[in-house]
Amino acid sequence: MEEAPAPEAVGGRGKLAYKFLLWFMLISLAPMGVVGWHLIGISQGVLKEESLRHQQSLAVGFAETVSNYIATFKTVLTIASRLEGFAQMDPVKQERNLNRVMQQHAAFLELSVFDAVGRETVRMGRFLQEQPQMRDFADQESFRAALDKGEYVGGLVRFQGLYPTLTISVPIFEAVGGQTVKRGVLLGRVSLNGLSQMLRQEFPEKGRSQAAVVAGDVKDNFLVAHSNPSEAFKADAHLPEEVLKVILTQAARHGGGEVELKDGSRLLGAFAEVKDTGWIVYVQQPTESAYLAATQMRAQVVRVLLWVVVITLLLSLAVAGHITQPIRVLQQAAERLTAGQFEDLPEMTLTNDEIGDLAQSFIHMSDSLKEKTGELLHAKDELTKYGRDLERRVEARTRELKAAQDELIKKERLAAIGQMASVVGHEIRNPLAVINNSIFFIKTKMTKEGILDQKVERHISIIQSEVKQANSIIDEILTYSRSKELKPEVLKLNHWIEEMLSIYPFPAHITVAKNLDARDPVVYMDPEEMKQAIRNLMGNGIEVMPQQGTVKVGTQIVDRSWVRMDVGDTGPGIPQDVLEKIFTPFYTTKARGTGLGLAVVKKVVDRHGGRVEVATEVGRGTMFSLFLPLHEPGKAPSAPAAAQASRPAPPATAPPAPAARTEPPQTVRTHARPPGA
Amino acid sequence: MPDNAPVKLLVIDDDAHLRESLAEVLELDGFECLQAGAAAEGIATAKKHNPKVVIMDIQLPDSSGFQICQELRKHSREAILIMMTGRFLSSEEKTQGFQLGADEYLTKPFDLQELSVRIRQLLSRGRS
Repeated sequence: MEEAPAPEAVGGRGKLAYKFLLWFMLISLAPMGVVGWHLIGISQGVLKEESLRHQQSLAVGFAETVSNYIATFKTVLTIASRLEGFAQMDPVKQERNLNRVMQQHAAFLELSVFDAVGRETVRMGRFLQEQPQMRDFADQESFRAALDKGEYVGGLVRFQGLYPTLTISVPIFEAVGGQTVKRGVLLGRVSLNGLSQMLRQEFPEKGRSQAAVVAGDVKDNFLVAHSNPSEAFKADAHLPEEVLKVILTQAARHGGGEVELKDGSRLLGAFAEVKDTGWIVYVQQPTESAYLAATQMRAQVVRVLLWVVVITLLLSLAVAGHITQPIRVLQQAAERLTAGQFEDLPEMTLTNDEIGDLAQSFIHMSDSLKEKTGELLHAKDELTKYGRDLERRVEARTRELKAAQDELIKKERLAAIGQMASVVGHEIRNPLAVINNSIFFIKTKMTKEGILDQKVERHISIIQSEVKQANSIIDEILTYSRSKELKPEVLKLNHWIEEMLSIYPFPAHITVAKNLDARDPVVYMDPEEMKQAIRNLMGNGIEVMPQQGTVKVGTQIVDRSWVRMDVGDTGPGIPQDVLEKIFTPFYTTKARGTGLGLAVVKKVVDRHGGRVEVATEVGRGTMFSLFLPLHEPGKAPSAPAAAQASRPAPPATAPPAPAARTEPPQTVRTHARPPGA
Repeated sequence: MPDNAPVKLLVIDDDAHLRESLAEVLELDGFECLQAGAAAEGIATAKKHNPKVVIMDIQLPDSSGFQICQELRKHSREAILIMMTGRFLSSEEKTQGFQLGADEYLTKPFDLQELSVRIRQLLSRGRS
């Protein structure tokens, strides 16, 4: 019982409190239980011993009483026998005396007087008829012992088969001249009912304890008295055999101990020997009542311990609850944190101990967690943003790539067209040559023979002219499609333009307006290719001004790196829808034309690492601006494309137009390649 | 060779029409024209007739005009060798042709008046 029952931990909640509880109980109750059990053991022993001793003293005391009881009757007989002149008295007188004795002592059932030879002289008894028969006791033990030894106590019999009686004899003396002479024996039969009565008074409660006086041995025993007198009055009255075996075989004069009866009940018994007679006084009590005090004490202790357990349990619960309360709060807070709720955490009391420190740490942790989570969320947002940005960039780049791819496809297509044009052009040259030769032959032959009339000659010259035209178209195509190596030279741009203008066959209705930069720009370019480009531009300009017009040619240094070369006209301008396609090869608005003129311009400028801009206004004119890299003196002349790489991009917007020029409202820029890319 | 005798001239071209038309025009101009449609035939004819002027296409089915040029120059130092071409020639190609003995280049189609004058000029220079 000293072990507190370990409360089963219920569910996941409150385990800690129960653990505390269990440990508290173990720590506080286990030692107490052990000590208590030990003390109970000790006190039980002591109490049992005490009970036994008490029994024993009862037995011893009663043994004395029994002894005194017998002694009293002996003394009465002795006194009666020694009465003055009793020996000399006649039997009647003696009878009278004895009658008094019987009246005084109710226990005497019979009194007899025997003479010296054992003949009965007086016999009186409470239940005798008148004139009873006298007996001869000469051979009786009761007579002989009294004469020889001076007294006799014995002869236990049941009077009328019921009442235990004892016979006591004493000699009768007569003083004869200073000497005492035995004249006979006085014999009394004493009822022992008094002993039973006394026992009953001593041990009134039948169920609890009883006492008895036993004589004889185990086999032949005699129940002298019993605290329940009716037991003693039975003819075959005797104590249980187990008890008799113990008390009648003891050598000790008194003793005691526990006895187990056949029916299983346990008794605490004690015995004491009655002096002189050898009787045994036996006192018994069931162990339950004998050990009542010990049992009660144990019960009391158990009750107290139970109370202690209950109180400890409650106290432990309270203490454990108090200790675990902040931890439970922490746990709740942690659960909220786990669920991602950083706000409204349960309030934590910061006690001045480890748990307080823990709470403090937890608060720090939650703050840090909140901060980190915030950072994470922020980072996630950033990432998402970057992701979107990246997507946009990828899209943009994809578009660029697509455009570049389209451009490439277009270029490849153009290259293929160029290739084809070259082959076709080449193959057409042979038939053209044959036609040319044949028509020349016809013309020569007819001239020689004088049969060439005017009409025939006219048609022959038309054929020759058309052959020439076809040939020039082929030339143009082949020029555009072949990739001749660029042969750049360092040139003074103004001088080069002047020279070219001087040999260009301008028609009479065309005015030429020059506006050359006085700073004399120097460029590094292929003069032949560039001449082709400029001639194409001027040719176009002249073509769109059939009546009257001005071809405007100019140069202008834009910044440290770039020079602009302008070729313009005052023609009808280019409509928007046409403007977008003017540089496309084979695109033409003319009845006769390859559509390669401006494509050649763009190609040449591209090859020089520059770009072309067009400014046009319908009805006012068109201005082509060729941006070319300036030659940097001191730097070794290099390929224009390579020079371009280290050069800042050409100005993005059209530079200020020359004063003479009409201001075109819209511009179109085309880029040969992304500058600086 | 008497002066009034017509100058012998050989045209080598795989295009029969061109060959014929060129030859006829030059015959009108007083030349005696031989014709050949391939390099081997041209070389054989030249070796046989010793023409003063050979006009040959650069691109021939069995060989190139430059090789004919080289071969003929071994045979005759005086012959005037004129190359015809339908396409642009780079200056490297032209230089190479001159080194092999070519005297003149013609790009088809060409002015026959010009050609006739040029041939006579070259002939008179070679004679002096």
